[in-house]
Amino acid sequence: MITLIAETLTGVFTPPFRRKEFFQQLHFVGNKSLFIVVFCVCFAAIVTILESSFHMKMVIQNDSMVPGFAAVLILRELGAIVTALLLSSRVGAGYASEVGSMQITEQVDALKMLGIDPVNYLVVPRFLACVLGGMMITIVANMACIFSAMAVSQFYLGYTPGMFLTSMQRFVDFKDLIFAMIKGACFGGVIPLVACYFGFRCQQGAEGVGRATTNTVVVSSIAIIVIDFILSYTFSYLY
Amino acid sequence: MITSLLDQVGSTLLFLQKILRTMMFKKLKVHEIFEQIWKVTVDSFPTTAMAGFFVGAIMTVQFAMQVKEFGALGYLGALATSATFREVGPLLIAFMLSGKVGAFTSAELGTMKVTEQIDAVRCLGADPIQEIIVPRFVGIIVSSFFLLAAGLMMSVFGGMLLGELFAGVNYEEYLRHVPLIVSPVSILSGLVKCGTFAVVLATICTYQGYSTTGGAKGVGRAVVATAVTTMICIVVMDWMTSFIGDIILTMVRGFRP
Repeated sequence: MITLIAETLTGVFTPPFRRKEFFQQLHFVGNKSLFIVVFCVCFAAIVTILESSFHMKMVIQNDSMVPGFAAVLILRELGAIVTALLLSSRVGAGYASEVGSMQITEQVDALKMLGIDPVNYLVVPRFLACVLGGMMITIVANMACIFSAMAVSQFYLGYTPGMFLTSMQRFVDFKDLIFAMIKGACFGGVIPLVACYFGFRCQQGAEGVGRATTNTVVVSSIAIIVIDFILSYTFSYLY
Repeated sequence: MITSLLDQVGSTLLFLQKILRTMMFKKLKVHEIFEQIWKVTVDSFPTTAMAGFFVGAIMTVQFAMQVKEFGALGYLGALATSATFREVGPLLIAFMLSGKVGAFTSAELGTMKVTEQIDAVRCLGADPIQEIIVPRFVGIIVSSFFLLAAGLMMSVFGGMLLGELFAGVNYEEYLRHVPLIVSPVSILSGLVKCGTFAVVLATICTYQGYSTTGGAKGVGRAVVATAVTTMICIVVMDWMTSFIGDIILTMVRGFRP
């Protein structure tokens, strides 16, 4: 695993740079996942704002700060982690089964025979695409979250968008968006590394591909939750 | 795209109906069911417990930062526990579980399908749904429900530990206001969510596994489809349970809480 990470990181800076592969993967990570991610994240945001209004009414009888709290929760935590978990199951599982099938049909060995480094050819473009794509998709997801939360609070809780934004301004900094971006990039980087690691180690047959995919989803989700915890803890000293 | 989506939903529901009919009219393999429950629980417990622990820890760190501004650290434990129980906990732990249990089961069933083991069972004159699918279906529902509940318990421990380490709130203080805010309704809503997610997970992963076609690549595709579909369905179900629960509560109490 560590070897793979080291090889990938050196591969980022050594030619040949595979620009076409990179853009293909970026299309897969960014455009094709966008719909699912935005859809899920919007629902999560709606539930968050309804639930947090419920809480605030319980504790301090009025919920004038709900939009602010919900926006903070969405920007700092939920937007990034729900997006990353969705990406890990969609992109990560896809990569693992793709690389795994390449491994068991000996296409990886064929690449080696042709003198092409499989890490440089397969992992590096995916890694870069996921880092960039994760960053961008997290921002888009956060924006979608805020919008859907705003819409729901208009119709259901009776806050106008103006009130929502004013209350949000008291709590949210521009820093939050930057930290969300960093989180998105870190989570994005983890996914292809784990997927390709299990893909390369895939054993013969249908069972092997299934197991590689399962392992990828599990390990990358755990890694995302743990990294999220570490990053939250670190960032909490920077506010 | 819409047609294929509707097609998927329809065939999943038909599959669910087939399972339920088999469960009602044919003999249940109780021994098999217990074996499945045991296997799934033992297999996935460490993952779920760890996910739950970290979810609780993350929520506490986040809430501590906000609550500190109002000087209401005493409410930290109560707020974090309540939010984790009602909303974030079930959602994130279920995501985790859909990766672990769902992907594993659909890979297993998919492998059985593409290596024609399911056809072999049918050749031997047994009903594959009764023999293979129903025990898994029931087993996954029961054990994911318990796993989700256990993950929620672990999230309380994670929250307590981080409350002590990060915010300097000791355990007793952390738990003091919990009974005030975490009402039976909160716990019930968390458990209802766990139950719904368990049913969704079991249905989708058995369906995707059972309808796998096309060799090793097909198994990979089935696993991806399972993970993505379960996550979408879980988020939608999460919203629906919250919404319906809210409506029912409003009807029972006569006012919005």
